[in-house]
Amino acid sequence: MAGSHSLWRPPRSCDVYWSEFKHCKSLFNRFHEYYTYGKSPDCQQWKQDYYTCKEWEKNHSTQAKESLQESERKRVAEQRKFTPVWELRKTPPADWHLPLNQDKPQDS
Amino acid sequence: MAQSRAEEDDYRNKQPMHEQQHGEPKQEDYGYSLYPERSGSKYKQGSIGESLFTFKHKCHIMLQFAMDTSPYAKLLLAAMRTSGCAVHKDRHFSCEDCDGTVSGGFDAATSQIVLCQNNIHQQAHMNRVVTHELIHAFDHCRARVDWFTDFRHLACSEIRAANLSGDCSFVNEVSRFNFGLKEHHQECVRSRALRSILAVRKVSREEAERVVDEVFDSCFRDHAPFGRIPHSKKDAKFAYRDFENRDRYYANL
Repeated sequence: MAGSHSLWRPPRSCDVYWSEFKHCKSLFNRFHEYYTYGKSPDCQQWKQDYYTCKEWEKNHSTQAKESLQESERKRVAEQRKFTPVWELRKTPPADWHLPLNQDKPQDS
Repeated sequence: MAQSRAEEDDYRNKQPMHEQQHGEPKQEDYGYSLYPERSGSKYKQGSIGESLFTFKHKCHIMLQFAMDTSPYAKLLLAAMRTSGCAVHKDRHFSCEDCDGTVSGGFDAATSQIVLCQNNIHQQAHMNRVVTHELIHAFDHCRARVDWFTDFRHLACSEIRAANLSGDCSFVNEVSRFNFGLKEHHQECVRSRALRSILAVRKVSREEAERVVDEVFDSCFRDHAPFGRIPHSKKDAKFAYRDFENRDRYYANL
């Protein structure tokens, strides 16, 4: 749709991509990636996304838009790569906001 | 309740005591015995005794500072507010004297986080305990967690709390003389979750290990609401930035 294209902007602002890249490459992060996963972090995608973002800012190309969307969707998918142990709620617990004296469990 | 020990940082989930008949063999107490003030405090609230003989005031000050300045805590509080569980300091936090070296806990029965004022003396420790317990509260808020009868749920929340609160940071592990490098974070998370379960449930070590193994892969990958494993305040700040920009993010995906 012609209208939605002009309303679209990158999911993150370009400077965020750059700061994530720098942070990813830092000694601190590289150490913690090894400490957690036993491997080096893969930071190139952040750098790539930064340049794509800048390219989109310059000429609003569809290719840049799609490239960024694909990259971010992959990130979201990575974060969802597990089967939840529990069922998610649709509403918060009913007793969360109840005052305390009504909340106490009954003693036998 | 999820509990945290001062020295060893064991976190435990606390659950209400089941009613006991006279003469029945002693039931599971779900760790409540470590929190004697859950059934009534020693000093009357606001009394001289309370201000002279407890660390309650210091606990409240450190708690407020943690809520105001820790990016971990701020993100969790914001995420909970979004989920409909706004946290009010006076209602959802309680500074109490606890037994032993426990640092804190989450009491699902009253939707309260207990902070052990007699065992938390440094701001960094308070920050970590608050983060850990808020993760339990966050899980309680957003999921149907069966704290009382499903070990898998208990284990899962403990794995997440150990993973995401900084409990298993390299520095903290070294301070406990647990030296390890490659993938040590995972070993730490696993062992702390195991210890938590063993501390609050009358279950064999083999059974507890089995439960932790069963849910580990899933729960270790669940980084909500951070979106990453925050190893530092900077990680947590980046995560908070992402959370604040989530509307733009998902709208343009």
